[in-house]
Amino acid sequence: MSRVIAIARNTLREVVRERVVLILALFGLALVIASQALSPLALGEGRKVVIDFGLAGSSILATLLTVFLGSSLLHKELERRTVYAILAKPIRREEFLVGKFLGLWFTTSMLLISMAGILAAVVTVAYGATPWSVFGAVGLSVMELSIVTAVVVLFSSFTTPALTAFFAIAAVVSGHFAEDLRYFASQGAPVGVQALAEAVYWTLPHLGVFNARGLVAHGIAVEPERLGFAFAYGALYAGGIVILAGTIFRRREFR
Amino acid sequence: MSRDRDDSRGRPGWAAEAAARSQLREVEPLPTILLDGVSKVYRDPMTLKPFTAVDGVSLSLEPGEIFGLLGPNGAGKTSTIKMILGLTRPTRGTIRLEGRDPQDPTARRRLGYLPENPCFYDHLTAEEYLGLVGSLFSIEPRTVRRRAEALLERLGLRVHGRKALRRFSKGMTQRLGLCQALLNEPAVLVLDEPMSGLDPIGRADVKHILREERARGATILMTSHVLAETEPLCDRVAILHRGRVLEMGSVKAILESDVLEWEITTDALPDQRMSLLREAGHRVDSVGSRWVVRVLDAGALQGILRTLTEERVFIRSVEPRRESLEEYFVRVLEADGVGTASGRESGGRS
Repeated sequence: MSRVIAIARNTLREVVRERVVLILALFGLALVIASQALSPLALGEGRKVVIDFGLAGSSILATLLTVFLGSSLLHKELERRTVYAILAKPIRREEFLVGKFLGLWFTTSMLLISMAGILAAVVTVAYGATPWSVFGAVGLSVMELSIVTAVVVLFSSFTTPALTAFFAIAAVVSGHFAEDLRYFASQGAPVGVQALAEAVYWTLPHLGVFNARGLVAHGIAVEPERLGFAFAYGALYAGGIVILAGTIFRRREFR
Repeated sequence: MSRDRDDSRGRPGWAAEAAARSQLREVEPLPTILLDGVSKVYRDPMTLKPFTAVDGVSLSLEPGEIFGLLGPNGAGKTSTIKMILGLTRPTRGTIRLEGRDPQDPTARRRLGYLPENPCFYDHLTAEEYLGLVGSLFSIEPRTVRRRAEALLERLGLRVHGRKALRRFSKGMTQRLGLCQALLNEPAVLVLDEPMSGLDPIGRADVKHILREERARGATILMTSHVLAETEPLCDRVAILHRGRVLEMGSVKAILESDVLEWEITTDALPDQRMSLLREAGHRVDSVGSRWVVRVLDAGALQGILRTLTEERVFIRSVEPRRESLEEYFVRVLEADGVGTASGRESGGRS
């Protein structure tokens, strides 16, 4: 476990020193400006708009950061051959990959939580009440990020950064529309297409499970049952994907 | 306890112990690194055409020796090293690292590795990187700090311990590479071109460290292009070409081969004598204010010395010149069909 933590800590350092903190500060600033600009236009719904806008923005930003930092993270190691000196140490390749996964997930999660903190502070200052329910929605987004990070790590274990980014974004987008896909297939499509849609539906991550932004914007807190289910689903799905990535990476030859 | 157990079987305990000891004495020490008929075939990802990088290599490194793996570019040195480290798997054959499969992480616990042209994490400092390496070996942080300090001092990097690695020169990175390879006090050191990118002082430091490591009992496998550096360092060498081992033996035995030529150094040489020597097929060169006559035939040496003495030429020295490791290397490669500039110049020497 200490080896996994060492790799995760190194990944965290790498990402943080790539000026992610600067992006975070810029986002916080943009949010403050946006809250001031949107309030008069929202016809008394300023607080709701700022929370909705802030949660969606921070979630999209964290997802994009995961995809773009993660897709090059492993490739850079292989291209610069920094990985050779590491894998010649008594570490399993799976441990290395899990360390990379945890480091990236932890970093983007911290970023997301910090952005939620800024959002809560902005709303508190502007409207006089702290929106605590924001943190429930962020908890769900953190679990969504675990799946996105796992998907990125999976593709980066055997393909190029560009393809990794493409497949990961495709997985995120289709993961949000998995229910719709199943619904459309059930509306009179041939049996073969329905079966295929069903298989895709069960393979894709059900990212809709993690979206409670609409509820939170209306001041409704996320129920503990929903949080528990989302945490269990996220952990199982991400765990499965990381195991698959580890299996692929273990068999990889370093020419 | 064991004595009691032996007694219960009706055999005196001391006799069983003595028998066990004599058996132990008979067991030969396990090779530190063992390659048995190892081959590596890569396939072109596009055409799937096979390419044999390593072809039936067998090596056995004994504890406490420095072994040089020599060969031109593309000979299969790095491919062999990658298999020893478990970064790739052999297509055929067996590799054992202290008796274990290198794919097993525990086999790499007592291994130190310096990659060719090493590259480490830019975002870390030297101390942070050594801390990371220490964690991978599960060494206590306090011990890591102590060893890192000592190694940085030993390799002249003490003042650069907190400098970001992106600001390190090639030579400094090479030195840090050696630091991280030595951090776990390894029993086996695998060094891919350890002299690369180092200035003469750096090379002398590395040679000194490698000798110290050998004295500590470490087995060292190194590759090198700088054969003049390898010669005084290695106990044994293997010459690799097109993935095959062409020659293998102790450096001492190679260098104690027959005398290639005799070098007579004189203060001055009359023009007429110089012409006669050249006509007789001997090489005569001016080196600074002196002349060097190179005599290939030992039988002619006595006659030339007598003549020079009669002509009152002051003879400074007469020295036998044996084949250097580099010349041996070139000769072996030429015999395997490699054309070199010097070989073409002299019409080949094989």
